[in-house]
Order: sequence, then C-alpha cells, then structure tokens
Amino acid sequence: MNTWSTALIIARKDLSLYRRDRTGLLLGLLLPVVLVAVFGSVMKFAFGGEGGMPRVTLWVADEDGSPESQKFVGALRNVSMISVRPRANQDPATAAALRGKVNDGEAHHALLVGEGFGEALSEAKEPPLVLVRDPGRLMEDRLIGIAMMQAMMSAGDGRSMSWMMGSMMRRNGMSEQGVKRLQASMEAVQSVIGMFAGGSDPELRSETAPAASADNFDMTAMFEGMVPVTKEDVAPPDRPKNLGFQLAQSVSGMCVMMLMFGLMACSSMLLVERDQGTLRRLLVSCAPRHALLLGKFLFCFVVGFLQLIVLFAFGELVFSIGAFRDPLTLLALATTWVAAATSFGILISVWAKSTKQAEGLATLLILVMAALGGCWFPVQMVELPWYGEVITRSTLTFWAMEGFQGMFWHQKPLTDPVMLRAMAVQWGFVVIASFAAVRLWRRRFLGT
Amino acid sequence: MTESADLLVVEELRYAYGDRVAVKSASLTCRRGEILGLLGPNGAGKTTLLSCIAGLLPSFGGKLTFDGQPFWPADDAPSRSRLGLVPQELALYGDMTGAENLQFFARMQGVESAQVAGAVQRGLELAGLVDRASDRVSAYSGGMKRRLNLAVGDLHSPELLLLDEPTTGVDPQSRNHLFECLHALRDRGRTIIYTSHYMEEVQRLCDRIVVVNEGVVIGIGTTAELAEQAGKPGANLEEAFLAMTGRSLRDEA
Repeated sequence: MNTWSTALIIARKDLSLYRRDRTGLLLGLLLPVVLVAVFGSVMKFAFGGEGGMPRVTLWVADEDGSPESQKFVGALRNVSMISVRPRANQDPATAAALRGKVNDGEAHHALLVGEGFGEALSEAKEPPLVLVRDPGRLMEDRLIGIAMMQAMMSAGDGRSMSWMMGSMMRRNGMSEQGVKRLQASMEAVQSVIGMFAGGSDPELRSETAPAASADNFDMTAMFEGMVPVTKEDVAPPDRPKNLGFQLAQSVSGMCVMMLMFGLMACSSMLLVERDQGTLRRLLVSCAPRHALLLGKFLFCFVVGFLQLIVLFAFGELVFSIGAFRDPLTLLALATTWVAAATSFGILISVWAKSTKQAEGLATLLILVMAALGGCWFPVQMVELPWYGEVITRSTLTFWAMEGFQGMFWHQKPLTDPVMLRAMAVQWGFVVIASFAAVRLWRRRFLGT
Repeated sequence: MTESADLLVVEELRYAYGDRVAVKSASLTCRRGEILGLLGPNGAGKTTLLSCIAGLLPSFGGKLTFDGQPFWPADDAPSRSRLGLVPQELALYGDMTGAENLQFFARMQGVESAQVAGAVQRGLELAGLVDRASDRVSAYSGGMKRRLNLAVGDLHSPELLLLDEPTTGVDPQSRNHLFECLHALRDRGRTIIYTSHYMEEVQRLCDRIVVVNEGVVIGIGTTAELAEQAGKPGANLEEAFLAMTGRSLRDEA
C-alpha cells in the first residue's frame, strides 16, 4: 500500500464518521453560513452610509422653524452617514427633551437649531447651533461634523462656504480685516479647486485617479469642523477622563464574549461524565439527581465569576476603565451575566448528544450573539430596521452589554431603570433556560 | 417481622429502546447473601436488566420488590442507597488520586463526614491500593483501576452490589484479587449480582446462575440444576449454556 492510498482510506473513514453525527455535521456547515449572513447584514447596516462610513444617529430640535432651518434639517436628513431623529413623520423634539436624552444616555448627540437661524444664514452670520454631546464619542463627532458641513453647504446653496471659513478663522484668532480678505478670495479659491478637481487641465487629469471628477470631488469632507457650533458636553462626573467610548465598549464587549467562550467547556461536561461512565455511577448514588445538574451549574458559575473579575481587574489595571468604582453594581452585573452565560452553557450540555454538537452549537451561538449583541462594535450606533432591533435585543449579550456599558460609560447606578431592565432580562433567561434544562435533563439523562 | 430470604424479586421485567425490545420478559429472585450470576451472550439484555434494577432505565414494565417492598430506585434516593453499582466502564476520575475518588464517591453515597476517612481506608484496602492512594488514577494499571472501580461501588456498604462485567481487560492476578474481594464481601453478608459472559468466572464465583438469552430468562439455578434444565445432566456450565442458547453467533446491541 502506498502513502496516498493509505491516506485516502483514512480520510474516507474519518469523513464517514464525521457525517454520522448529522446534527453536528449540520452545525459545522451552518456555522460559516450563519456567521457570513449575520456579519454581512450587520456590516451592511453599520457601514452602509456614504463611502462605507457608519451611520450615526443625530437628534435634532428645530426651534427656529424658518424655511432656512427647515431646509438645513432636510439637508441633514439627506446625508447618508447620519440618521436624523425624530423622523420627518414624527413629532418634533424640543431642546429640553433632547438635553434630557443625552443626559440620560439615550442619545449621544443632539443638535439644537436655535431661534434666528434663518435670519443669521441669510445675513451670512454665524447661526445659533448647539451640539449637545457625550464628549467621549470622537468617531461620531467627526461624522456629525462632516454631515453638518454637507447640510450647511446644501442649505446655503454653496454661499455658506465663505462665512463658514471666515467664522472658523475668526475662532482661531484671525483679525477681522484678515477674515474679510479671506472671504473675498473664497470664490476664486473655490473655482481654482473646482478646476483642479474637475480635470479641466489635461495634465492634471492624467495624474488623477479615474474616479476623480468634478461631480464626485467632495470638498466638504476637508472642512468637517467648519460649521460653527457651540458644543455642550454632557458626561457623568465620575467617568475617568482617559476613558473613550470605544475603549469602554471594547473592554465590556471582550469581557462579555470571552466569558462565554470560557464557559464553553460547561457545554460538554455532562457528555464527558457520560462517556467516562461516571454519570451512571452518580445517578445510581443516593444523591438527589437534580443536584448533579445544580452542581455543574455552581461549578461553572464560580469559574465564570472568577474569570470575569480577573478580566475586569486586568482592564482596570491596564486601561483604567473605572471597573471597581461601584463595587455593588459590578457585583450585581457580574453575578447576573455569569448566571445567564452559565444557564446558556448548561442548556446546551443537556441538549447536545455529542461533544461535536455541543461545541458546534455553542460556537455558533456565541459568535452570533457577540456580533449582534454589540461585543465587537457598538450596535447601538447602528441604524437597524425594526427586525434588526428585535434580533439584537433577543440576544443575551445585548443585555449584558447594556448593563456593563451603563456602568462603565454612562456611570448609571444599580437602581437606574436601564440597569434594572438589563438585569431583569438576563435573570428571565436564567429562569427559562434552567426550566428547559431540567426538562431536557429529565428526558435525556434520567429517562423520565 | 422475620427477614425474607429473598432480597430482590424481579417479575416480568420488560424494556425496549424505542422499537427494539432489549428485555422481553425477565423474572428472577436474588437471595440474601448470595452471588447471583447473570450469564448470557452479547446483546442478551444483561446490562439493560441491571440498569433497570439500578434505576437508570426507569420506564420499564414489570415489578421489582426489594426486601419485600416495591422498589423504585429511579425516583427514590433512599432506595438507591441500598444499591452499589460497579459499571462496565472504569467510572473514575483520572485526574484525581485513588483516595480522592473514594472520598468523592463516599460523599455522593451519603457516607457521613466522620465516617468518610474510614470508608476510604476500607476501600483502599479492598482494592489493594493503600500504598498508591496518593497517585492519580490515570497512572494506575488497568487492573488497579478495575479494583478501585469495585471499591467505589462498595464504599457505602450497600445491601445489593451490582457488577456489570467487572473483569473486562483484567490480567489473571487482578481477576483473582477481584474474586477474592467478592468472596470477602459475600462473607460479610453482601448480596451480589454479577453479569458476565465468561463461563469459568461465573461457575467459579456464583452460587446460582441466571441464563439470559434474547431478552428472556431461560434458566436459573446452580450449574448442576442448569445442566438438568438443559437436558444434559452432569454437563459443565459451558455445555449446558450452549445447549440452552444454541451455537449461532450473536451480534452485540
């Protein structure tokens, strides 16, 4: 027998064994398909904005109500990288309501278009614009700056450029005389830029990329900070100064996801006991049979809890995320999440008939839940259709993230309704999963 | 009340895995203080019968009586405490030492804390592993594991010890030790049900033998009684067994 024929015989045997466990096989094949579908959909929604930029929600209150301000808000709605709220068909919001939303952490950016906006625009003066924001979200800040610039250019029919530039220079210390000179030269500058970008010069045209043309040259993106807006920062006083939203989100997300991976072993524990024969012996012992399941739960809970605390301690040590600022809230959130993740693992362990099934299903669900629940990137930032909202909120990880982000980022206390709701959902899952696990345990392992 | 001579009575026991009937009809009596052999070819239903008695397969038909009382170990922990199981597999934790395994299972069997150390010591002595108590089970030989497997089953001094082919893969020395252990246990008053398909083991060890074939009990008694039942008076156990069960090959379930 040569090497190849031997290798083929072995491969055929392994393939034959592999396909015996139909459910395990299905899960193995399904895993990449589901992951591609889930991530593709989320990324489409997340980065489906202009030029592949993420879509950011911007709450707007138009207190001016002039044709100019309405045109400006309308132009904002047309910018693909942001989603303006309230929607056009919804009741308009007031400035006070939006300040409250940002303060409560329900919104991260709110633009208040003040009275006199239309008048100021028509007189080429600085319009009354206030951006109420959560200061740690730099990425969204920049996108909103670009969006406002685009909207302002559109609303002002291009005439806004010179006063915006003047305003920006004035804010940066240029004298009034200098500003006037600059504004006077703006039209000439615009036409020069347009000529270069538009490719009217044959020499330049050959050096530019084929896509560059007068139609798609986006000059506005260069001036994202040009719209004069008063920034009103709303941040919890106890939040560490060095803590950015992305950092808080990453630390929480990785801790939530890694705990689930850490607990994956619990999804095959009962199968291991069964395969080595100890389960039969334990079931014949005079110990209450449900205590075996409870014992597994307790073991996983303790291990998971330690893992989570070590992860947060590391996060605190290296990134100073303020993990132990509110120990009671941290304890409650950690206990809740570990209980939920453990119930998840136990449920899989009583459902699976083989280790392959247990590991396949656990991996599939963990990765999908991590993506949809916001462990990898903030789904709260993503504009999702209604069914997307339903799906993300159906994941355990979403509620775990809601709780941990509530504590780390929004610095919410344990008694805050958002925190209580996040924990209640997770405990609800614990109850339902435990009930289902006991039912399956009785049927599959006890034969009753 | 006088103690009945029969410890366990099995009446018309039936069990099916889905559509496949593993035990069609099994009736037997196990007397107090005896070693009762369950002998049958592969797939005869011995392990299923033992699992039903142990409460691992609760949805069986028929009736079990233990010490004169209806017996339902699946739902009743005190009933299970009267049983000890030595499964066919080496049901031990390889990463734990021999002593730790005994200690853990003693606690699971409800041995009181103050008596656990004593039970562990007795277990180690029974298994002949006193000097290897602190070694991990994964470092034990096959025979040592088998002996420890037996000791674990007897930790809580059950009234009835169920052994499911406990000598699989064991060398002659360890097998001999196991037999001596079982005789010692019987001498201490333990009742034992021992399943095997090895004639010589059953003949040497058991007081009475139950022959099971295709899920049916087809004979019960001593070797001589079985030879009579098979119509071959004076024959040895193997001849009687083959006469009762036929010579065709059996496929394991």
